[in-house]
Formats: sequence, structure tokens, C-alpha cells
Amino acid sequence: MPAPQGAILRPPAQALAPRVRAMWATTSLLASVGATAATVATVLVLASSDESTAAWIAGCTGALLSLAMLASAALRVTVEYRNYRYEVTELGLYVSSGWLWRRWQIVPHSRVQTVDTRAGPLHRLFGLVAVQVATASAAGSTAIPGLSVPAAAELVEELARRAELDEGT
Amino acid sequence: MEPREHPTLEGRLHPLAVLVIARRFIGASLIPLAALLVSLGTRVLVPLLLAVVLLGVPLAVLSWWRFRYRVGAGRLELRSGVLSRSVRTIPLDRIRGVDVSEPFVHRLLGLVKVEVEAAAGGGSKAELSLAAVSRAQANALRAVLLGAGAAAARGPAVLHRAGPQLLALGGVTSLRYLVAPLAIVGVGLNLADDLPGGFVERAGDAAIDLLPTDALGIAVLAAGTIVLVLAIGAAGSLLVDWNFTLTDDRERLTASRGLLTRRIVTIDRNRIRGADVGDTPLRRIFRLVSITAIVAGLRGRTGGTTLAPVLPADETHGLLQVVDPAAPDPVAPLARHPRAARRRRLQRAIALPALAVLAAAALRSPWGVAGAVVLAGLAVVLALDRYRQLGHGFDGSRLVLRSGSLRRRWSELDPAGVVAFELRSSPAQRRSGLCTLVVHLGQGAGSRRALDAGELQAAGLLAGLHPRLLEPLLERSSSPQLERASSSIAAE
Repeated sequence: MPAPQGAILRPPAQALAPRVRAMWATTSLLASVGATAATVATVLVLASSDESTAAWIAGCTGALLSLAMLASAALRVTVEYRNYRYEVTELGLYVSSGWLWRRWQIVPHSRVQTVDTRAGPLHRLFGLVAVQVATASAAGSTAIPGLSVPAAAELVEELARRAELDEGT
Repeated sequence: MEPREHPTLEGRLHPLAVLVIARRFIGASLIPLAALLVSLGTRVLVPLLLAVVLLGVPLAVLSWWRFRYRVGAGRLELRSGVLSRSVRTIPLDRIRGVDVSEPFVHRLLGLVKVEVEAAAGGGSKAELSLAAVSRAQANALRAVLLGAGAAAARGPAVLHRAGPQLLALGGVTSLRYLVAPLAIVGVGLNLADDLPGGFVERAGDAAIDLLPTDALGIAVLAAGTIVLVLAIGAAGSLLVDWNFTLTDDRERLTASRGLLTRRIVTIDRNRIRGADVGDTPLRRIFRLVSITAIVAGLRGRTGGTTLAPVLPADETHGLLQVVDPAAPDPVAPLARHPRAARRRRLQRAIALPALAVLAAAALRSPWGVAGAVVLAGLAVVLALDRYRQLGHGFDGSRLVLRSGSLRRRWSELDPAGVVAFELRSSPAQRRSGLCTLVVHLGQGAGSRRALDAGELQAAGLLAGLHPRLLEPLLERSSSPQLERASSSIAAE
């Protein structure tokens, strides 16, 4: 039987804000810089106390860890950004995410309980907002991690209107 | 909804409730008391006990005095508190159910405990319980809170009653006791390091010395162990589910059970979203199943929604139809999942035992290799059965999903109760044209999934479950094939 190979649902219409890539890259970069700094410090301490084998092991592990973080950052800003999409249809919210393990979630408007927006320090730095949509089931709740401020406001407004929620809940 | 007329009802807990409350106070202070005793010695025992009695009993009496309940004007009010007073008000239309239970101490005093299930809107899940009331009070409360006066007059019908033989057989076949010995071994191994003087090792050695070495002795020991385990399984089931009775007053189902602690659970029929039918390989031999209602809006309480702990398989459909008239027959054939799903079950099952075989071979241990090979064989048998049990179906009104082998579960549910739909696909699934469809049911009801369904099957299910919402989201390329797929599902 010819299989459609993992594409039985069409991609949702809208992408995240492009700036979310910059935010993800910054997060990963910061983590990578932190890991590198910790590695350098460990290697220096070990080398100064004549533990050269241990210093080599620590250095290599740390370097690999930092590289892995950079690689995951590269994947996030390319593939994950491409796959993380959302769309408000007439009857529901449709979100796709994931790269290797892909996920498509569809929440009927009538089942939405709360719509939350959140903006952490990094979000604010890049002018982004994260939107969380909760249903009666924790596992059936969904999130859109990075939208521009106007796009988020529009999404919340639209979801609230469609779910017949009052504004601000 | 038409406004129901609720009579007014007011009262306190039963006077003997003082004992229950006092027991709770004293129970809470036991550990600090023990600490004091240990640090100060036994000469403080008498003053301490005096202090507890002098403080605890008046506190319990006061707490009993302050606690009042009142039903009227469409709401339930609970007033309580010794130092800080509180009044809790619950509109009657938010009340989902009333549970009456009889913990052991209550049974001795002839009292019952009442817990009110209220809709958990938002996040506040306040516990609403009446610690101890008389049975008559509990019945009056239930009738008023649930507006069941008319229904009670009609008399509830008994849907299912489990007798002792059935329960004993159910306990033996539940296989639940197989997990308990593993837990005991785990605890034992943990204790081995902590107990002083190598106690567990010495006990183990002593036990090994006592073990018989001749064939007859071993056979007797094995038979004795099996009989003991089965007896424990039967006894556990009898204790928990003694005289399990499911009654129906057309609006609510009421399940009561238990030998020492008797529990009564009420389920609002409007909140039933479907049902799970579970069994084990052993139960399949005896043709027995257990039935659990899928109920939305109840807090997750294990075993709270059991409709039948054990039931002959032939009676399943009949009972299901009383609860949910549209329920399909559990023995009706389901759409099988593609052969690729079988390969995936096998791959997953064989990986660990194969590693064990390699490890045993590397260690040159013939017994290890033999054991690992047997293990691998069992894993393959289990994987094949797990594949055989995978299935799904949708008859236009109820979604049916089946999976599992050692604990097989067949679920029927109303798509209208689905809170969110989800499709998952891993790289390995995509290579084989498979995916997993998950339906989330919300508060307390959990999720059910169609594991490793064919992609076209999943598309067909999605299009059928909620056509107006989901059909526009399907990839156009799969639509013509979909026509065929969905018509073949409908034909089954």
C-alpha cells in the first residue's frame, strides 16, 4: 500500500515569529558559553594540580557537550522552527511541532479553558510572547512558544472570541 | 435546565464524631509525642497523656460543635473552624457526586463518612467532607444534594452484583499479585544494605538451609507457594470488592463494595464518556473481564469508577449497553493495524533480551544464555500477542480502541467527550507508514490511543471522529485513498 509517509495532516498556515530563532540561538549560545567556561575552569584547576589525564577527560567531555549544544541550537533554529506552526481554524486551534518525534495537536475551540500569555526576560528582549492554551486535560493542552506581541494579542483575542471566553481570563 | 426544588436540610455531625475527630487530632500529634518521649524518657508519659486528653478532647468537642452543614436556597454551606472560622458555599448544580464510605472505625461506631465531589472549575479543588454522620443523615444528604427524591421512590435497579466465588476467581485471575512479590524483593534488597549485622543475608542463608533438596520436597514447596499466592490474590479481591453491587436509578450509578471499609461511589450518568473493558491472559481463559467507566470531571481517584471488578465476558455487552446505549459489542471485530506494527512490536520486545543473550555469551555462562534465550522467547510471544490485540474501529457514534496483552484494554468512547486530538509520529513510525493517534479526554479520564495505526487508518479515523474540524486539516494527497480507507472501515 502506498503510504503518504508521515504527512496525513497538512502543515498549519502560520509560522512562529522569525525572531524566535534569534531567541533560541541566544539561549543555546548562553548555555554553550556557560558550559565552555565551566570546562575551561575545571581543566585549569585539574592541570594546575598535575592531574593531566583527568584534565584531558574533562576537557574533551566539556568540549563535546558545548558542541552538542551548538548543534542542537542549529537544528532548533532551522528544522524545529520550520516544523513549529499554528493555525486558528473555524472550529479549533491546530499546532504542529517536533522534528524527529513530530506532533500535531488539534483543540476544538469549545474545549479551551484558559489562554495564558507569558513573556520572560529573554522573550521581552526579543519582543516575543509565549501563548499557552489549556484544556481540561493537562496532556491535551498546547503551547505556542514565540509570537510577536501583536500576533499574540490577535491570537488570544481570536481564541477568546471563538471560545466565548471573557477577555482577560 | 429547569430549577429543581430542594428542601432545606440542616445539621451537625453525629455526636460520636467527636471520637473520630479526636482520633485525628491525637493521630496527628503522635509523632511529636513519640519524639518527646524518646528525648525525655518515660517519666513524662503520664503528664503527656494528660495534656493530650485535656487539650485534644475539648478541641475535638469544640470542633464538632462549630461544624454545621446546611442545604437550602440551591446551595450547600459548610461552617467550620475553631480558631479561624470558615464558611464554604457550593452551588448544588456544581455537585457531581456524593461518596459515602465506611472506614473501619466508623463501622464500629455505626457511622459513615460523606465526601462531596464538586466540579473542579479552574484549579481550586477544595475537599468537602463530613467526617462522621449517621447513616440516616448520609442518606438524607445524598437525596437532597443529588435531588434524587423522585428517583429513589422508583427504586434503583441492581445492574450487577459480584458473589464471593466470582470475586475469588477474579482475584486469582487478575495477576495483580504478581507485581507484589517483585516489590517485596525490591524492598528486601534495599533493606539488605541498611539493616545491621547482615540480617537479610543471614535470613536468606537460613532460608536456603531449610529448602528441601529432593524432588518431592521441591514439588511440595512449589505447589505450596502457588496455592499461597493464589489464596492471597483471592483474599485481596474479596477484601476490597466484597459484595460489589452496582445499582442504577436512571440518573446515577451507585457502586458499593468492601468488607472492612465499605465504599459507596456515585457516578452521574451524564458525565460518563465511555467505558474500559480490561482483562489478563488468565482472565481470557476463564472468559472474565473488568469494566471501568470513563468519567469526566471527577478528580483522579483510582478505582473510583469501577462498574464491575469481575464479570463473565458474555454479560459485558449487556452491562455496557445499560450504561451507554450506543456501546458496541466488545467481541465485534476491529480494524487490524498494518503488518509493520507487528515488526515494531517485535523489534521493541527483542532488543533487551538480545542484549542479555550477548552479555551472557560474553561472560561464557551457559545457564545465563539459556535463561536469556527463554526470556527472548517469552518476549516474542508477548510481542506477537500485543500486535494481535491492537485494533480500532468507529461506527459513526463510538470510537473503539484495543491494546495490551498482559493487561489488555478495550475502550469505547464518545468522540464528543474528546478535549484534544493528537497525532504523533516517530522517525521509525514514518519509515513504516505508521503513526499514533491520541485522544485526550480531560480531567480524571486520561487519554486513549491507537498505537501504530496505519497512516491512512489514522486519517480515516480523524475524518470520521470530527469531520467538520478535522477533515479540512487532512493532506489533500491522502484524500482519494482516504475514501477507500474509510469505506472499508465502515464495512467492518
